[in-house]
Amino acid sequence: MSGDYTLEGLSVPESLDQLHDLLQQVAEEHQGVASTDLMLFETAVIEIAGNVVEHGRPQGTVAWTFTLAVLPDRLAAVLSDDGQEYALAEDQLADGRWAMPEDDLAEGGRGLALASVALDELDYQRTGGINSWTMVRHRREDTAQ
Amino acid sequence: MSIIEVRTEGRRAVVTGPPRLNMTAAPQLREVLARAVAEGSPQIVVDLGETTFVDSSGLGALVGGLKTARQAGGDLRLAAVSEQVMTVLTLTSLNRVLRPFPTVEDASREW
Repeated sequence: MSGDYTLEGLSVPESLDQLHDLLQQVAEEHQGVASTDLMLFETAVIEIAGNVVEHGRPQGTVAWTFTLAVLPDRLAAVLSDDGQEYALAEDQLADGRWAMPEDDLAEGGRGLALASVALDELDYQRTGGINSWTMVRHRREDTAQ
Repeated sequence: MSIIEVRTEGRRAVVTGPPRLNMTAAPQLREVLARAVAEGSPQIVVDLGETTFVDSSGLGALVGGLKTARQAGGDLRLAAVSEQVMTVLTLTSLNRVLRPFPTVEDASREW
């Protein structure tokens, strides 16, 4: 995907702040995008990026590229990394979305589930040694979720 | 760098959340909450008035603090949550266990 915005670097916790800053720049430069859409998109982007930081191997040396496009009908981003393939728990997938933990007091396991409810499309692919997470949110009116 | 402030008064503690409660800040919050409980203040209000963003690791730290506080006979309540924090609490159904209050004062009543 060709994007309006690109960020490259290592998937380390500090890079999350660069992603936050990039999303803030997007908000400033695209004031016609509903704030709810951007807020939910940012929530998903940080979850997916955090997942790469936490589970990407070899830890601390995985390089990633993030591209984002603001389109008339949607926000679309791809986060690609050169780390090892992710072992995703398929049993957590329900109706194409990751499920929240059944235990209300679980301290983990909400990341992919939160990202998938904040987005309209969340797709993971492994191609040619590269992991790619594609994230799409269709743009709504400001008053709609 | 410490970005999480704590004020304790007897069994009560007010913890001020960081601007972004993501995976860089969550471990520190987890530690601060555990320490407040260990030092005898298990009635905790987390003031999120300055926190504009929370992710699942931040939620995990809050749930961890809630469990630790309850085990010590206390509780953990949230105050002054932003739109993003409220949305995330709702999407994860965590608003059922981490009930948000409008202000720190409201959250501090009726322990």
